[in-house]
Amino acid sequence: MTDNPYPLDKADLLQAYRTMRTIREFEERLHIDFAKGDIPGFVHLYAGEEACATGIMMHLNDNDRIASTHRGHGHCIAKGVDVHEMMAEIYGRSTGACRGKGGSMHIADLSKGMMGANGILGAGAPLICGAALAAKFRGDGGVGITFVGDGASNQGTFLESMNLAAVWNLPVVFVVENNGYAESTAMEWAVSCDSYIDRATGFGLPGVTVDGTDFFAVHEAAGEIIRRAREGGGPALLECNMVRFYGHFEGDAQTYRAKGEVESLRANRDCIKLLAQRLTETGIVAPAELETIDREVNALIEDAVRCAKAAPLPVAADLLKDVYVAY
Amino acid sequence: MSRKISMKTAINEALDLEMRRDPTVILMGEDIVGGTGAPGEDDAWGGVLGVTKGLFAKHGDRLLDTPLSESAYIGAAIGAAACGMRPVAELMFMDFMGVCFDQIFNQAAKFRYMFGGKAETPVVIRGMVGAGFRAAAQHSQMLTPLFTHIPGLKVVCPSNAYDAKGLLIQSIRDNDPVIFCEHKNLYGHETEVPAESYAIPFGEANVLRDGDHVTIVSYGLTVHRAMEAADALARDKVEAEVIDLRTLSPIDWDTIIDSVERTGRLVVVDEAHPRCNLATDISAFVAQNAFGALKAGIQMVTPPHTPVPFSPSLEDLYIPSAEAVAAAVRRTMAPSPRSTLAA
Amino acid sequence: MAPVIGIIANPVSARDIRRVVANAANLQIADRANIVLRVLAALRACGVTDVLMMPEHGGIGRHVARGLSRAAAHGEAPYPAIHPLPMPVTGTVADTHRAADSMRRAGVAAIVVLGGDGTHRAVVAHCGAVPMAGISTGTNNAFPEHREPTITGLATGLAVTGRVPEHIAFAANKRIDVSLDGRVAEIALVDVALVTERYVGARALWKPDSFRELFVTFADPEVIGMSAIAGLLEPVTREESGGLMVRLGAPASGTAASGVTVLRAPIAPGLMASVGVADWRRMPAGVPFVPEVKAGSIALDGEREIAFSAQDRVSLTLRDDAFRTVNVGGCMQYAAQYRLLTGAPAPVTAEL
Repeated sequence: MTDNPYPLDKADLLQAYRTMRTIREFEERLHIDFAKGDIPGFVHLYAGEEACATGIMMHLNDNDRIASTHRGHGHCIAKGVDVHEMMAEIYGRSTGACRGKGGSMHIADLSKGMMGANGILGAGAPLICGAALAAKFRGDGGVGITFVGDGASNQGTFLESMNLAAVWNLPVVFVVENNGYAESTAMEWAVSCDSYIDRATGFGLPGVTVDGTDFFAVHEAAGEIIRRAREGGGPALLECNMVRFYGHFEGDAQTYRAKGEVESLRANRDCIKLLAQRLTETGIVAPAELETIDREVNALIEDAVRCAKAAPLPVAADLLKDVYVAY
Repeated sequence: MSRKISMKTAINEALDLEMRRDPTVILMGEDIVGGTGAPGEDDAWGGVLGVTKGLFAKHGDRLLDTPLSESAYIGAAIGAAACGMRPVAELMFMDFMGVCFDQIFNQAAKFRYMFGGKAETPVVIRGMVGAGFRAAAQHSQMLTPLFTHIPGLKVVCPSNAYDAKGLLIQSIRDNDPVIFCEHKNLYGHETEVPAESYAIPFGEANVLRDGDHVTIVSYGLTVHRAMEAADALARDKVEAEVIDLRTLSPIDWDTIIDSVERTGRLVVVDEAHPRCNLATDISAFVAQNAFGALKAGIQMVTPPHTPVPFSPSLEDLYIPSAEAVAAAVRRTMAPSPRSTLAA
Repeated sequence: MAPVIGIIANPVSARDIRRVVANAANLQIADRANIVLRVLAALRACGVTDVLMMPEHGGIGRHVARGLSRAAAHGEAPYPAIHPLPMPVTGTVADTHRAADSMRRAGVAAIVVLGGDGTHRAVVAHCGAVPMAGISTGTNNAFPEHREPTITGLATGLAVTGRVPEHIAFAANKRIDVSLDGRVAEIALVDVALVTERYVGARALWKPDSFRELFVTFADPEVIGMSAIAGLLEPVTREESGGLMVRLGAPASGTAASGVTVLRAPIAPGLMASVGVADWRRMPAGVPFVPEVKAGSIALDGEREIAFSAQDRVSLTLRDDAFRTVNVGGCMQYAAQYRLLTGAPAPVTAEL
């Protein structure tokens, strides 16, 4: 048996690869189906950023809550939300995670600790403070993770929440997924202090920057930060520098990006390629094992799309349902 | 056992009783304890007007003072509610809603629907509303229509201590987000209130006064103006039925329609700004559903379409008065142009 | 023409996991920019009129530009002119490599570096014979001295304008070349640690159980980081030839029978770790050493950089006199002794 140099056993390494592949395949499939006109509304794809969601979520259990963003499919999958229900939701079907009433931007599964993708940028930060407060009252050791992009880190909610989490000493981790673009606007232009770490420092939180395309870097840093929060060490900020393979939303011509930028990122900074390379190079995993996962993931996504397309649409009565618990 | 207590004390009592009953009830807000971290007394304020005074001694860490940061702590209350707690967040003045409204109308109000019925958000956001406190434009508004506009929110506005206690207990037990509006000029108003716990169901208006000639619908402070007007009108043998809505969402349409079908006349008194407020909403509903019963045009009594002014001389003009309500009733009692024509 | 100075300010040093696993500091961008302005003021006072600066997207340049335009609005000229290097910004260490390379080719008289040990290492890899003046804005900072940047700027200005004799103005430094399969793959300025973790991960070192071997260019008991381990065993100065090599073992085996002693060393800010020490000896210069660890990762100046396996042939060679730095202490003592800063500013001659 080959000696495993990594801090995860082989089953976990394969699970990490499977999660990342599932996210990628899910997003690549949406990219195609959206272009065909099969999908209503708009979708924001997480392709390229898989290592971040996966590296963080592997430290969490169902007691731990996350508040996601508009670009939330990856967070959902990594947190364990059912892929069939997600796909059905994006197709607007009654079998969807939100019974067809949320769509891509509002997929949630509270039973998995997934408090929702969110169409309002920065809105998840206060919510996760509440989730962490609840965990503190229950004493169940739960932590809350909120994700924001480089853009939403400018929102007052995000900054206020760092202060509140520090004042109340909440087990919250603020994850800045820095893909360099707030929609089309460059992070360098839009963030005055230029460093999220400086912002965290301003509120008395430690901040750590990692290469968000390196699964092991994210996994290791997130592990320490989450452990610190669980142990009562308080909130912290993790900045993951990552890359976005697609536009802000599907249909974005991305004329604001440099020529060849995406091609170069796909060639050199593809977190899945990097992970696969490390797993096979060290001999812990045979290429054939990864190929098997690829095939299984393809089949899963194919089946999810097939089921979603075959699933019933919500009916008229659903329009009025679930506005209130009771009214 | 019943005794006369103020609305402020009744609210305090409701919070205390619910915190004793249910360990998931927590309170948060700016200065709800007061003096946290300061060198002087703990529990220095108990809220800016002392509504939560004394609860810290009884419930300790379940009362959380917050930084002056409404967006963060109102959002945190909502997040905690979605995770099994029953937070009561005090938004000192409802006017501060402007800095945290997203958390309320885009988050709390929509979770259940947007997540396909899988979420419950039992949060109560209480705060002061209304004019008459010489608090000027940013601390005096009656913003209830902003909340009733949003599906997913419940909106409560009691007019007296008895209702405040029962409605707040119901609000805390309710599984939907509730905006609990406390008129600051009613805090000192006293009524008979039982010491024990009781809940007043939502969507049930209170008919304060029976009458066959005209229906006056109101809520909050202006209920008292309506009652004064009704007393004055009674001296002229005009018997007004006065309905206190108590909850604005849900709203008790049946009681309103039943009354208007009997009286044929409707006056709605609303302290909110006149455009798209409860008065216009109720008028439209009655016009659509009970038009045949109406013997006269519906009258609405509201402030003018201006911000709340500061100077007492102007603010007194701003707030709907009992005289304005009585005058509106008299307009509905005057022979209508149509009946004049018929004669 | 007055000599030109290069400035490389790393916007992303001091951002790693040691903020969480230890209590390391963060130096804010605005503070880094202020350091650059302090250095610039000192350089200008010595007659330096032009500075080449590495462009970055971390915001340092923007803050510096603000400081310069404010001074210009006052009608003052306390700073040299800044010329950003025309180069793309990748936000990676490649920027530092490219900037050091361009500055060397442009003939700068010295490069002022703001960063930690890693940043300084990246500059040394590409600056050739150009002397470097280091300012610590990193985490462990074993290599750059801790001092007020204004003084570093002054010393650099005095050194490059020829007012301090060269043998005093500049000092020679050691480095360790790390070869993989016979080719120099990396260098280290202070220490090379062989650890059993065979992945780079979050880079920093903070788990002493994984430490196996340590090679240092100097061993200073007054610094933190891996070299502190060596420094607390047998100090070796920056000036003398050769370094120290230490064999480390799990502290759990630190019993009399195992021959392992346990050393408590500050391996990161505020992080006192128990490290098992098997033995140590001097590391002579110019002799390649093959580590005993067969697979793991190589940490350079405290950060895991290269994962290697049994197939990789690793060797380490210490080089004396490998690169030059500004001798700040020497320059300032000389300046005091010869009253270099008294009277009117002396006219400056180019001595590139």
